Amino acid sequence: MKTADPITDLINNLSKLPGIGERTASRLAFFILNQPEELAKNLAESLTNVKDKIGLCKRCCNLTEGDYCSICMNVKRDRDKICVVESAPDLRAIENTGEFRGTYHVLHGLISPLEGIGPDDLRIAELLRRLQGAQEDEPPEIAEDITEVILATSPSVDGEATSLYLTRLLKPMGIKVSRIASGVPIGSDLEYTDRMTLSRALLERREL
Amino acid sequence: MLVKALRLRHFRNLSSIDLKPHPRFNIFSGANGQGKTNLLEALYLLSAVKSFRPQTNAELIEFDQSQASLEAHVERGGQERIVKIEIGERGKKVYLNNNKVKQLSSFFGTLNVVMFGPEDISLMKGSPSNRRRFIDRAIFNAQPAYATESMHYDEVLKQRNALLKGPHNSDRKLLAVYDEQLIQYGASIVQRRYNYLQEFKPTFEKTFQDIFDASFEAELTYELGWHSGPLNDPDAVLSDRIKIEQLLADALERTSGEERDRGHTLVGPHRDDLGATLNGRELKAFASQGQHRAFVLAMKIAEISHLEERYNFAPILLLDDVSSELDRDRNRYLFDFLCDRMEGQVFITTTHRDYILLDHDLAVFHVKHGEIEAQDPETDAFATPHSPQTYSQPLENSSSAKQEE
Ligand SMILES: [Zn+2]
Repeated sequence: MKTADPITDLINNLSKLPGIGERTASRLAFFILNQPEELAKNLAESLTNVKDKIGLCKRCCNLTEGDYCSICMNVKRDRDKICVVESAPDLRAIENTGEFRGTYHVLHGLISPLEGIGPDDLRIAELLRRLQGAQEDEPPEIAEDITEVILATSPSVDGEATSLYLTRLLKPMGIKVSRIASGVPIGSDLEYTDRMTLSRALLERREL
Repeated sequence: MLVKALRLRHFRNLSSIDLKPHPRFNIFSGANGQGKTNLLEALYLLSAVKSFRPQTNAELIEFDQSQASLEAHVERGGQERIVKIEIGERGKKVYLNNNKVKQLSSFFGTLNVVMFGPEDISLMKGSPSNRRRFIDRAIFNAQPAYATESMHYDEVLKQRNALLKGPHNSDRKLLAVYDEQLIQYGASIVQRRYNYLQEFKPTFEKTFQDIFDASFEAELTYELGWHSGPLNDPDAVLSDRIKIEQLLADALERTSGEERDRGHTLVGPHRDDLGATLNGRELKAFASQGQHRAFVLAMKIAEISHLEERYNFAPILLLDDVSSELDRDRNRYLFDFLCDRMEGQVFITTTHRDYILLDHDLAVFHVKHGEIEAQDPETDAFATPHSPQTYSQPLENSSSAKQEE
């Protein structure tokens, strides 16, 4: 493959970002080019750092700088309930309601055969391992004994499918599974749901 | 329901339109290709967000422009709302009273339109998908929440087909998930369509006899395209959600092998159809051209009457050049119905003003090169104080009346 010149290369890479078309990418590229060198250096460093330093929490797969995220490490959280969410922004939306005192599990996606995403492409294996008890290298102060899983995937078709799939996996394990109540309007992403609806949804969750 | 004002910018060839429609009849006359149907399409989009003809967003935007905008002031039950759609190449933005709409379910139902165009004439002859679209549109007008339901069903179907085609097609757990969704959403759609048909049928049957001949019995039935053989007691099954779910589950079980071989979903309401008979004989095989047209006209008129009777509102009616497709008697019946038995606002396009058998309560607009000009009522031969009977005279007399003016 022929390598493109540096400007084209930058434009190509920028246009891979969500919401950025080729025109915007080219505007950004020339903007960066015309700025003092510092901007480009800082930007490059931030980009590398974010991939180097931020990883997934060894337990809940939330984004974190350390081995475990601050929620998993917080000794005041309830250790018997897990709220399963699609993404880190969804986790933050529920966290902002202040209604939930348990811990989370982040799937990093929803099942979607159309996009070629199957159960194995999500962090479902990590969830199952978690439900089977403590892992060897875990700090004892954050040991957990999960009896209830709350499925808080969005009420879209893919969110429902993922939640149905998890229910089928978890129920036979004798775990109480509930779905966040339908107070969350259909078709909206959790991230944009206002706090009132979401906290009401959490309080009114129904058992599956 | 009333469109009080319509404002279009860069929509197809309609560069800049500001229209104050008449509360009853609006006639848009002009040669083909001038923008008449585009105007109806704009109203349709403001109701359903997607068009009646398959389109990319780019095609909806005027050449050399980056965005189209459509806006209407709609009155319903004494309340006025502003509906607005902005179309960019990447998508549409929908506004209700200048607030961006996040879920279409809260937008649908603000403006209801019933469209009747030349392609509807072959409704009962064409493919089952046309008839499914007819009943789905009708239910959507009566119960706007149905739109979300049928969108969800379409999504489930796409996912399930992708699963059947893809590398996971033997993952039983995953298949069970999509079976469950298909059964859930599918049963609801079957039931809604069946219930609608039951409500709609008496109005339809009576209308057909009015239009055609009182000795003819026209019948519409709901037909499952995935069930082996006819149902023993269709009414008992199709009115019962649990029974439909069971039927779907059985059919999925029966076809699971074949579905995997063929790589798509063979079971569900996306395979259903409306069956039509005339005096017990299948319409498709036995009916004459005139009977076909009368049948379709009766379906459209019954759709409107049903909304008026059952839901107490008159939808906006969009008639796209239908008069040229109907024979004279059917055309007369249509306009008698519009004048005497329907109350709502009507937008009519035509290439020939004299096909439109209306002479009062109307505004006439001339459409040329994407521009719309209101015509002075004085110059419209049919709008001047004729006796109200004019429209019930034969067409030939109408055109001679024009010359007398
Ligand atoms: Zn964590």
